[in-house]
Amino acid sequence: MSDLTVTIGEGPAEPAKDWTFAWIDRQRGIGRLARGDESLIVAVEGAGTQWHVVLHGRRVPVSVQSWRERTLAQAREAGAKAGGPLDIRSTLPGLVVAVHVEVGHDVAAGSSLLTIEAMKMQNEVRAPRDGRVGDIAVAAGQPVAAGVVLLRLE
Amino acid sequence: MRKDSGAADGIRRVLVANRGEIAVRVIRACREMGIVSIAIYSDADAAARHAEAADVAVRIGPAAPSASYLNVDAILDAARMTGADAVHPGYGFLSENADFARAVEAAGLTWIGPPPATQEALGNKLAARRSASQAGVPVVPGLLVALDAGAQADMASLGLPLMLKAAAGGGGRGMRRVDRVEDLPDAMRSAAREAHSAFGDGTLYLERLVHPARHVEVQLLGDRHGNLACLGERDCSVQRRHQKLVEETPSPAVDPGLRERLFDSARKVAGTVDFHNAATVEFLVDADGSHYFLEMNTRLQVEHGVTELVTGLDLVAWQIRIAAGERLPAEMLQPEPRGHAIEVRMYAEDPWNGFGPVAGAVTAWRPPEGPGVRVDHAVTEGPLTTEYDPLLAKVMVHAGDRPAAVARLRRALDETLVAGVQTDLGFHRWLVEQPEFVSGDYHTGLVADRWQNGPPLTAEERGLVALAAQSARADADAQPTGQPVAVDGVSPWSRTARSEALRR
Repeated sequence: MSDLTVTIGEGPAEPAKDWTFAWIDRQRGIGRLARGDESLIVAVEGAGTQWHVVLHGRRVPVSVQSWRERTLAQAREAGAKAGGPLDIRSTLPGLVVAVHVEVGHDVAAGSSLLTIEAMKMQNEVRAPRDGRVGDIAVAAGQPVAAGVVLLRLE
Repeated sequence: MRKDSGAADGIRRVLVANRGEIAVRVIRACREMGIVSIAIYSDADAAARHAEAADVAVRIGPAAPSASYLNVDAILDAARMTGADAVHPGYGFLSENADFARAVEAAGLTWIGPPPATQEALGNKLAARRSASQAGVPVVPGLLVALDAGAQADMASLGLPLMLKAAAGGGGRGMRRVDRVEDLPDAMRSAAREAHSAFGDGTLYLERLVHPARHVEVQLLGDRHGNLACLGERDCSVQRRHQKLVEETPSPAVDPGLRERLFDSARKVAGTVDFHNAATVEFLVDADGSHYFLEMNTRLQVEHGVTELVTGLDLVAWQIRIAAGERLPAEMLQPEPRGHAIEVRMYAEDPWNGFGPVAGAVTAWRPPEGPGVRVDHAVTEGPLTTEYDPLLAKVMVHAGDRPAAVARLRRALDETLVAGVQTDLGFHRWLVEQPEFVSGDYHTGLVADRWQNGPPLTAEERGLVALAAQSARADADAQPTGQPVAVDGVSPWSRTARSEALRR
C-alpha cells in the first residue's frame, strides 16, 4: 500500500491517516469512510492508475500510481518535454468545427490547432508546446468524446 | 373537487412525442387515467426508461434529434401505425412548434397543448412583449421593435447595462449582456449569429438589465370554455447561463399584494391570445417589488412538479382532460396551495468547470426516498447519450413551510448518490448551506456571484478522496481475479488489458 502514491489535480495528496475505508458494494463501487462515529458514503470508480471518487456529490479525478508506473510516467513526460511525440486529446465531448493545421505544419506553443463546439460554445484546442503536426485523427464535422486523441505533435 | 383521476372522453391512446423523464411523467398520467401510452424512441434510446414504461413503443429513427424526436413525418407515421388519437409533446423538442401542432391536428389527432396559432403568436418574444405592453402589462424598459443592425445612437438613453435578446429566443440562447455602448456592435453580431443557428431567425431586441432581480413565473391552466386558473407562482432565480437550476413555490419574494398583481398580469397576457391548456407566464421582479413581463411559454414546464406538490393537482392529467374538452371545476379556479415545495435539477455537467458538458456512463445511481420526496428521472446505469438534454433527474421535496422544505432537501441530497459522471449534486449540496438560500433572500446573480467555479477541495477532503482511491486500487491489485469497476462505459477488462499493454 505504501508503494501507491496519490495525485489529485497537479499535486500529491496524502491519504487521511485516522480514517478507514471499506467497501459497501464493491461491484457498484460504493464504499464507506469512517473515523470513530463519523462516517461518509463515497463512490469509487476506476482501474489501473485512473480513479474517480465522488465525495459530497463532487466527482474528483485521482491518479494512483505504483513506484514503477510513476517512474515510467516521469520518463514519458520528460520525453514529451524534450520534443518526443505528444498526443493532444479532447477534454470535452463535442463537435469538431474546424481543424486549423495540416500534417507537417510547424506550430508554436499556444497556437490554435482545432475548434471544438460543446454546449453551443466554441473552444480552441491549443498547442501545449512547439512542434510539428504528425497525425491528425479527426476532421471538421466529426463528433468526439472526451479523452480521444485529436492529433499528435512531434 | 372532482377526483384527480379517471379517463378523458374521446382520448384513449396518447402518443408521447418526447423522451427521458418527461416522457415517463406523461406515461404515468396516462396509466392512471386508463389511457394507452405510446412511446417513440431513437436508436440511442432502445433501452431507455420511457420506451420501457409505455404500453407501446415505436422506433422512429437514428439518434440525431433531427432524424428522430424532431422528425415530424416519422412521429406522425408512428401515430398512424399505432392508432393514437392524441399527441402530448412534453417540453423541449417539438412542444412549442406550431407547424408540428398543426400537422398533428391535420392528421385528425388531438393536440395536447395550447392552440397552434397561440404558440406561434407567443413564440415571437418581441411580438408577445408588444402585445403585453398594449394590454397594460408592465414590460422591462427597452425597445418594442426589432433592433436595427445600423442604429445604436440612442441605446445609451435606455440606461446601461443592457440585455440583447433574440425574438425567437429561449433557453438563454441569443442573449448577451452589454455593459458599454461600444460593445454593442460585437454583441449584436454574436447574438444574432447564435440566434440564427439555434432558431433560424437572428432578429434581436433590447431591454434594460434588471439587476438584482428574481425570476418568478405564474402557472396557468385554461379550459376550452373560457375558464382560466392561476395555480400559483414559482421562483426560478437560481440560474446559470440564464438557465434554471432550482425552482420553488411559493416564492419567498412574493407577498399577497405582489401575487395578486402577478396573477392579474398573467391573466392579461393570456387574454391577448386564444388560450387553453397549460402555459407559464414569466416575469422579473426587481428589488422594489415591481414586476416586468418576460415571456409566456405555451407548454408544460420542466418545473411543473413543485406546483403539483403544493396544489395536489396532476397538471398532465388536466392537460389531457382539457384537450378532450372538459371544464375546469370551480374549485380549481381558486386553489389553496399547501406548504412549500422545492425542486433541484441534476444535470450531467461539471459545476467546477463552468457547468460545462461531461461524458461517461452512470455506474451507480441511488435516488433519495422517504417522506415528502418526489424524484422524476429516467436514469439507467450505462453510457450517457450525448445527443440529448443532459438533465438526469429532478429531485423535489414538499413540506409544511420553507424551513422544513430546505431541511428536507438537505436530507434528500445527502441520500442521493450518483457515480460515473460529474453532476450538479455537489453544487446543490453547497447551495442548501448558503445563508442567502436558507433565508430565501437571493436573486438571479447568486450562482455567478457566489459559486463562480466552486470552492476548492479542502485539505481534509483531499485526504479522504486520496484514501478512498488508494484503498480501492490496493484492493483491486490484491485480487488476481478482481473486478475493477467500469470507467466511461469501457469494459474494465479492456481498460486493464490496455494499461498492461502500456506497461510492457
